[in-house]
Amino acid sequence: MADHILIAAAVLIFCGVGLGVLRLILGPTVIDRIAAIDMLTIVCISIISLYALVADRFIYLDAALVYGVLSFLGVVAVARYLERGL
Amino acid sequence: MLDLLVYLLCAGILASGLLAVRLKSLLAAIVSAGLASLFAAVCFVLLGAPDVAMTEASIGSGLSLLIFLYAVHKTTRSRDR
Repeated sequence: MADHILIAAAVLIFCGVGLGVLRLILGPTVIDRIAAIDMLTIVCISIISLYALVADRFIYLDAALVYGVLSFLGVVAVARYLERGL
Repeated sequence: MLDLLVYLLCAGILASGLLAVRLKSLLAAIVSAGLASLFAAVCFVLLGAPDVAMTEASIGSGLSLLIFLYAVHKTTRSRDR
């Protein structure tokens, strides 16, 4: 049962990475690309968390934590740059 | 399964690097370059180096993106952004 859940999560992560990169390539405006990059960061956090669960090494969750803080900071910086310039 | 994920992330690194070179808008190119280092950091985690991945994520993706944004803001006029 747990294996099925892990495989379903991996398939969903594959789809998320594929669709996010597709939107990044196709995206007509800058805002589309920034939204795609925010989504890809969250997908990357889920990849790291899933791998920490599969490999049974919970030290990897620290990397996911740094990722979460940095994705928030990056998107806030880009939004502030778009609004009135850093 | 893990090999497939690493290959997919490497394809993502290639795609975002190509986009960073090819895109006309400077802001989109900067963010694409940040995404390349983000994918590289996930590859580092999957290959078993979480400390390298933490450094790559904080410096390559966070700090360099901020510094590039600051430089672009300082060196362009506000209307031809």
